[in-house]
Amino acid sequence: MIGLKYSEILKLNKELENNLKSSSYDITILSNIIVHQIKEILEYLLRCEVINASVEFGDYDNIVQDSHKYKDSNAVIIFWELCNIIDGLQYKIELINNDQLDEILEKTKSEIDLVLKNLENTSLVLINKFTTLPFSSSNIRETNLDRLAEQLNYYLEGKISSNVRMVDFEKVIASVGVSNSLDLRYYYSSKALYTVDFFKTYVEYVKPFVMSANGKAKKALIFDCDNTLWKGILGEDGFDNIEMSSKTKNGAVFSEIQAIALALNRQGVLIGLCSKNNPEDIDEVVESHPDMQLRDKHITINKSNWLDKVSNLKDIANELNIGLDSLVFIDDSSFEVNLIREQLPDITILQVPERLYEYPKMLRENRSLFFNLSFTAEDSKKIEMYEQQVKRKAVKKEFADIEDYLASLELKITIYEDDKSIIPRMSQITQKTNQFNLTTKRYTEGDIKNFIENEFFKILAFSVADKFGDSGVTGLCILNMDDNNKIANIDTLLMSCRIIGRNVEYAFMDCIIDIMKRRKVNVVRSQYIKSQKNEQVKEFYDKCSFDLTESNDSIRNYTLDINMYVPKQLTYIGIINEK
Amino acid sequence: MKNNIEKRIKNIMSFVFSISIEEIDDESSPDTIESWDSLKQMNLVIALEEEFSIELKDNETVEMLNYLLIRSIINEKISS
Repeated sequence: MIGLKYSEILKLNKELENNLKSSSYDITILSNIIVHQIKEILEYLLRCEVINASVEFGDYDNIVQDSHKYKDSNAVIIFWELCNIIDGLQYKIELINNDQLDEILEKTKSEIDLVLKNLENTSLVLINKFTTLPFSSSNIRETNLDRLAEQLNYYLEGKISSNVRMVDFEKVIASVGVSNSLDLRYYYSSKALYTVDFFKTYVEYVKPFVMSANGKAKKALIFDCDNTLWKGILGEDGFDNIEMSSKTKNGAVFSEIQAIALALNRQGVLIGLCSKNNPEDIDEVVESHPDMQLRDKHITINKSNWLDKVSNLKDIANELNIGLDSLVFIDDSSFEVNLIREQLPDITILQVPERLYEYPKMLRENRSLFFNLSFTAEDSKKIEMYEQQVKRKAVKKEFADIEDYLASLELKITIYEDDKSIIPRMSQITQKTNQFNLTTKRYTEGDIKNFIENEFFKILAFSVADKFGDSGVTGLCILNMDDNNKIANIDTLLMSCRIIGRNVEYAFMDCIIDIMKRRKVNVVRSQYIKSQKNEQVKEFYDKCSFDLTESNDSIRNYTLDINMYVPKQLTYIGIINEK
Repeated sequence: MKNNIEKRIKNIMSFVFSISIEEIDDESSPDTIESWDSLKQMNLVIALEEEFSIELKDNETVEMLNYLLIRSIINEKISS
């Protein structure tokens, strides 16, 4: 995977998409930063394992609201970037006081609760551990940010359950390196932070969870014996000269290998032997070699004989009643490895590395093949401990539902009417906005200026603020009136995707209608023009009590008798008029 | 050599935008290729950087808004 170029992944993923016939495994990624490049990388990795993954994204920075919308996905992955919990937190946090810090902490905890409550029946929820590494890896002192991350991670630990798991994000960053993980080039303009190299490694950490959820975790670990469980060849070197003692240089490697295997066995992995040796010689080592850690009670199946390994491995799968694709086989001989690879491609084969000292590392790195999502008693004990800790802390506000949550944000929108000072921004959002855009008309600064100066046009923009900050100008409506000022036509209505999900569009519509009423307009007409990306607002006008007058595949026309308008009057959104 | 570069750029564009190479001509831009949005633009930049082992500057990436411009920027980068 690491070796493939991004463009190669795009190409190969497309090919696999066309070939895989199995039903799709839907993964939704919810995030408060842009991580779109993960899509094809994750799909490709899983499609290679015959999991027909299909990755889609929630709206940008809409984790709480989208957690409800996407709860029926097969898996939900949450990228909750600490530094974007509130915009610019990485620098703001060092200037705020403890009360404000607590408020951010409690707000985020409540959001985590709401999200996990919404996703409680989703079969797999992966949430990244919070990290400060992108912005604070060079700090000597512990920063406010570090403390916040620590507390949030502690809180998350207590939320782990049979369907909710954490991805150890810092391990991914450590493995890729901080600077290779980050591409700041698009951070300030587009809130994209991580590199393709980062995602290539990240998906490897996600894969074991998905494999397990799809019943594809490996079940048995089979060793060829000579030079895989001990150093030396039993038939030639003899019982006394094979090495697996932690006290000798070569022996130490094999001692560690056996200990890893033993630990896997305790977690439920079946251990087997498949070796070209006299069976009685192997039995003697298993029973009585003083340095042997894997004993008869650990070894579920033993095929020590002079038959070919391909037949033996098939027998092992049959007798254990598991598929060949559930087996992992370790051998040191290139000849055997290649032969099995060719004849039994479903088996995962690990070859003992030429540099013997890398053998334990190789096995450790492949432990994730056996990763099992099932919940152990140890897990529940750990969670109990965390829960008690958390309860001792201040009582935190619980939200009953989304409305309750939105109310806590203290949302305010500020309306700008024909405001020349924001022409560049108004033009920019007509160029950039795709999803919440009813007609997708693009306008230059000159166009906007002309509208403002034309008395038959009305340009309304708004900005949104909550108690944590201001999003700036993020919504726009352009209306043009007929000669008598009786009919207004909504030429453009759009809103930046970063504020979707807060119901501000309805508050804005209340304002638009109100302003039209004051202008003595009788009828408001509007239109939805379908584009590649605006499906989500297809029925927006229906929800605002407009009447659909005609519609076809690409256009829906509406009209509204202004006296029939039913205002939403959302009490939790304050409105400020900035003339 | 020059043709080869053109071919490699078009190849990358076809993977990134999920279109066939024949659909790409000198005038290809976000206006003619439906899937060419700001996110795909990022993907394009990263794929081109990998393909040609170059690093594109901020201002170069915003200029790459049609096939001809991409080609001239890549050529300039490679020759320097």
